[in-house]
Amino acid sequence: MNELVSTDAGALASAVSPDIDTILEIDDLQTHFRSPGGIVRAVDGVSYSVRRGETLCVVGESGCGKSVTALSILRLITSPPGRIAGGEIRFEGRNLLALSEAEMERIRGNEISMIFQEPMTSLNPLYTVGRQIAEAIALHQGLPRREAMAKAVDMLRRVAIPDAENRARAYPHQLSGGMRQRVMIAMALSCNPKVLIADEPTTALDVTIQAQILALIREQQETLGTAVVLITHDMGVVAETADRVVVMYAGKKVEEAKVADLFEQPAHPYTRGLLGSIPDMAGAARSLRRPRLTEIRGTVPSLARLPPGCSFAPRCAFATPICQQAVPPLEQHRPGHWAACWNAERVLEGSAAA
Amino acid sequence: MSSSMAERGTAPLVEVCNLEKRFPVQRGLFGRGVGQVHAVDGVSFRIAASETLGLVGESGCGKSTAGRTLLRLLEPSGGEIHFRGEEITALNAQAMLPYRQRMQMIHQDPYASLNPRMTAGEIVGEPLTIHGVGLRAERRERVAQLFDRVGLRPEQMHAYPHEFSGGQRQRIGIARALALNPALIVCDEPVSALDVSIQAQIINLLTDLQEEYGLSYLFVAHDLAVVEHISHRVAVMYLGRIVELTDRSTLFEAPLHPYTEALLSAVPVPRVSARRRKRVILAGDVPSPVNRPTGCHFHTRCLYAHARCRAEAPALREVSEGHLVACHLHDAGPKLPLAKPA
Repeated sequence: MNELVSTDAGALASAVSPDIDTILEIDDLQTHFRSPGGIVRAVDGVSYSVRRGETLCVVGESGCGKSVTALSILRLITSPPGRIAGGEIRFEGRNLLALSEAEMERIRGNEISMIFQEPMTSLNPLYTVGRQIAEAIALHQGLPRREAMAKAVDMLRRVAIPDAENRARAYPHQLSGGMRQRVMIAMALSCNPKVLIADEPTTALDVTIQAQILALIREQQETLGTAVVLITHDMGVVAETADRVVVMYAGKKVEEAKVADLFEQPAHPYTRGLLGSIPDMAGAARSLRRPRLTEIRGTVPSLARLPPGCSFAPRCAFATPICQQAVPPLEQHRPGHWAACWNAERVLEGSAAA
Repeated sequence: MSSSMAERGTAPLVEVCNLEKRFPVQRGLFGRGVGQVHAVDGVSFRIAASETLGLVGESGCGKSTAGRTLLRLLEPSGGEIHFRGEEITALNAQAMLPYRQRMQMIHQDPYASLNPRMTAGEIVGEPLTIHGVGLRAERRERVAQLFDRVGLRPEQMHAYPHEFSGGQRQRIGIARALALNPALIVCDEPVSALDVSIQAQIINLLTDLQEEYGLSYLFVAHDLAVVEHISHRVAVMYLGRIVELTDRSTLFEAPLHPYTEALLSAVPVPRVSARRRKRVILAGDVPSPVNRPTGCHFHTRCLYAHARCRAEAPALREVSEGHLVACHLHDAGPKLPLAKPA
């Protein structure tokens, strides 16, 4: 991270700096979907990397491509209509997109695990939760059934499920939402993955349960050195968990920065707008008159009908004529701080003044 | 503590006393009753004119049921509802009609709550038709006015719900709720289904409308930051009961109930500097409302619970001016910081 400001438009590849600690690299990923209205570029040239033991948060609103990127990593895109149309995904230097399905099976759930937002859809309703975890352990670690079951109960204990022996015999519908999410995490962590991808892992949960789950993920990460990719729309969760942050909008990465830099001095108008539009509990309570929330005008564009130039331009308070004409390249504006915006310097200065 | 009630006139617009709503739990083919869910268990609060009362709590705490029962969309199992001093708890459908005009609702999922076969204009005008307000031309005029007020374009009156984005659909829901000039709107999680960048638009719109028309809101939500932003006073519910009720700044700065303390501390704060704060992380889940704990409902998860909490349910009492709390820790007046009694 010693290189300074780069203005090279083709600097995309170097955004994922080849680092000895880098465990997972997504490089210029293109994931497209066929639709009646034509090809939808759900992920359009996204690159990011994760280091061992690091938490990378990927934020953005519905339809920005954050989940599709994650599903692409594990090659879980349903085809058709979906298709990984370009780019590379390198895990410990190996391109996952070039592996056979059998080789991919050995990576999925073993070296790279995923937790989904809605645990009910990823648990099999016909089997007890203990058996489902044990199966994953037996499959990936080749343990006999009894040992796998004992390890499954042990995993349930580790994710703080009370009365684990009995709960292992429960079916998913017999557990509460928070419990099911913990079962999912137990399953995802049962093979000590090197990378954990968590897609909105706490969005469906109440805040007190969310705090438990996030603490649990952090604890696992500290003991095992797992790299975590946490996908969320909640800036509060980002502020509390991330080391670095990637912001996505309409299928593209629009900003990447260390968490403190992103919150203190956002370089992309979209990030700046997002931060201004959330009510800040601690800040507002002290003032008698509540400040009006900053609105981002308009709505998230449909991926099938993206405007020319920068996709955010129609909603952007900083837009200039060039924004409607040309897609801004991703450039490094401060060390480790990248943004795809023609007016990033102006935004950075504005953020610093604010 | 300049209580917002005093500023806004003391006569409440709406008052509920000991409101209860129980649902039977049935099992088997013939629906044998095997118990009851106490969804709302003796809830009391008032809302003044032009005031927003926030009602917060986790899923299953009864906050939405309380809102619906207040509007008599659900029949109360007990207690009383007063609107401008008149008791409306037992009025028949005919007698309820004038009150229904004054009390409206905005739903969480604007898509599920809009009829897909009606145009946006028809949806917004429907309450006017049902209540026989004005002539056809006048109604059309009123709908156009409402569209303009909530930030929709006039030509969108002819579009169907599926042609709108989530935020625009919520604007349609708001326009419909405004059609009959209500005094009270129950907002049930009105922004939780929306993208963050759209939430701010809707929250600002609701705030503007309140100032313009002197509306009162019962704002039911689980997002504490949103509730904090929009409410004048806030009630916290846990397992069917209100555990704390006070003005916004007192609740967020000096909460007295251990549950409120834990709830506030669990909310992720969108500032990196907030990482180092001390947090209270609750163990376990909310108990089942069918099989509730004895005594204080919260004692199974409370950090400060003692023998008395397991045996005796604390009443909701005013421990300082305008600050109500249901917790044995404050029997001899409010005590902070919270600590287990010696």
